[in-house]
Amino acid sequence: MKSLASLSLWRIIILILPLVSLGQTFEYGWPDNYDKPPQCVDIPVDLRLCQGVGYHQMLLPNLLEHESMAEVKQQAGSWVPLLHKNCDPGTQLLLCSLFAPVCMERPIYPCRRLCENVRDGCSPIMAAFGFPWPHILTCDKFPQDDMCINTPNDTSTSEPNGHPPVCPPCDNEMKMDVILDHMCASEFAIKTKIQEVKRENMDRKVTLQKKKRTIKMGTLKKKDLKKLTLYLKNGADCPCTQLDNTRNTYLIMGRKVDKQYLLTGIHKWDKSNREFKKTMKKLKSHKCPAYENVFK
Amino acid sequence: MSRKTRRWMFHIFLCLGIIYLKMGGFSTVLALGASIICNKIPGLAPRQRIICQSRPDAIIVIGEGAQMGINECQFQFKHGRWNCSALGERTVFGKELKVGSKEAAFMYAIIAAGVAHAITSACTRGNLSECSCDKDKQGFYAHDNGWKWGGCSADVRYGLGFSKVFMDAKEIKHSARTLMNLHNNEVGRKVLERNMRLECKCHGVSGSCATRTCWTTLPKFRELGYILKDKYTSAIHVEPVKATRHKRPTFLKIKKPYSYRKPMDTDLVYIEKSPNYCEADLRSGSIGTQGRVCNKTLMHHPNGCDLMCCGRGYNTHQYSRVWQCNCKFFWCCYVKCNTCSERTEVYTCK
Repeated sequence: MKSLASLSLWRIIILILPLVSLGQTFEYGWPDNYDKPPQCVDIPVDLRLCQGVGYHQMLLPNLLEHESMAEVKQQAGSWVPLLHKNCDPGTQLLLCSLFAPVCMERPIYPCRRLCENVRDGCSPIMAAFGFPWPHILTCDKFPQDDMCINTPNDTSTSEPNGHPPVCPPCDNEMKMDVILDHMCASEFAIKTKIQEVKRENMDRKVTLQKKKRTIKMGTLKKKDLKKLTLYLKNGADCPCTQLDNTRNTYLIMGRKVDKQYLLTGIHKWDKSNREFKKTMKKLKSHKCPAYENVFK
Repeated sequence: MSRKTRRWMFHIFLCLGIIYLKMGGFSTVLALGASIICNKIPGLAPRQRIICQSRPDAIIVIGEGAQMGINECQFQFKHGRWNCSALGERTVFGKELKVGSKEAAFMYAIIAAGVAHAITSACTRGNLSECSCDKDKQGFYAHDNGWKWGGCSADVRYGLGFSKVFMDAKEIKHSARTLMNLHNNEVGRKVLERNMRLECKCHGVSGSCATRTCWTTLPKFRELGYILKDKYTSAIHVEPVKATRHKRPTFLKIKKPYSYRKPMDTDLVYIEKSPNYCEADLRSGSIGTQGRVCNKTLMHHPNGCDLMCCGRGYNTHQYSRVWQCNCKFFWCCYVKCNTCSERTEVYTCK
């Protein structure tokens, strides 16, 4: 007993004494990270934004100052629907270079050109859902030299793609993952029929029938639900086959921006479709990521 | 490379030390060990040794904070004749500049700030047992600003209080120098307190700022270094005042004839004029400027050879400088650089 105690005692002494004597250089390499240095961690399977991005490990905290993996997942989750839109080939690369940055000795930021390409290609679609291009992705702060991330084959400098006009809320794949991601990104979801579609300035005004069933209530109130009118933002002339057919029943998703309710997704309520049926069944047990669990 | 090795070894020792210190099963050994460890640390005053024995977990953090202060001091004065280098040679607790100069004033302030900064940071990380996040700022909604308190707000009051108790425990004699040290310690802590930052995070959907959470955070220590350097430039010369019934000085006043104004509590103060720091003098913390690198082209500049070398002249050495340049990131994922070199000269004081 005594010998064990004295042995540990000397180990403590030997280990502790050099601590206060060693002269150390204070490193300023990592900005705003004096608390804990970034660590290399595997990209988790359920970080769906960055699956198949081209590398398997990421830095935590990331370049958006998310400090825990739960925070990264929660914040990245709202960007997955944008990935499904395929608005720019560099979308995933830009987002993941910030949400799940590559493990290097120093941080590698996305190139400004990559950011500008994605912004120019994707911000019209984000605007259709009522989202401005966020401050955290401001392109001016990213580097322009060679020490940054660009699309691997960046030969298409400024190719004017004359792509046909698209209605982002209507142009959705009938796929479970896509519908569930949009469901989580939307504030409410209802099952109903369309009564009337009218053009109003740059938008299209969608009046719904009185008979409605709530799939996801969200922030919507019952009195608002009765006389609900949705707007297809900047969608006066874009093609939307769902709105042309008023006899069908639809799964309609939306969110409130200022005093307007925006249409964020519309799917035909097609019970004969296997994928749709599977989605509705999955919807009952599906839980959207909640930020409250991450940030106490 | 050797620097990295030393840092690596330091971190290993630090981790192992923390593990040992936090072992509950060795409480008796810990008590004895802490007592012996604290007695063996050179430069601790008796009161500081008592604090060390009661809070062995904090002594490591205090050492880190003092070292951070010394490193910042060396950075801020790297172009001057006095460059804080004598302090780095000894333990972080064994510092003592005998001359009550402006340089001593800066040194005391930066170390007091460093200790407070390190303690507060350790609280935030949960590395100290008796403190954590600032509990006053948890979940409250600030209506007027439109954001919400959240995250881990740094409890700077604990860090300031601890720094005050520990650093001021050394100043027990009633002398002009003691009053000067206490004053300058407090200046360092006040600079930290007044430069705490509010940091916010936008975590609404798609990164929008519709939902924002804010918390207080420590400023970068370099910021404090620059602020204290400015205060050093405008430091106030003071002298002690003795009351009639006592023979010991009771407070400091600005050194001017027929004036009894006290210095501001945000001004650095000194009681003795600085030496020229040209020659080595342990009392003033001067190692002299012989062998110091200087800049030949700068005239009337602290780093210029004429001022740095005190008129003794300089030697010229030629060497090739090599560095990595034209670095490029390749997908995925590596960085390739070219190697650049140029012939250059370096000048050192005779």
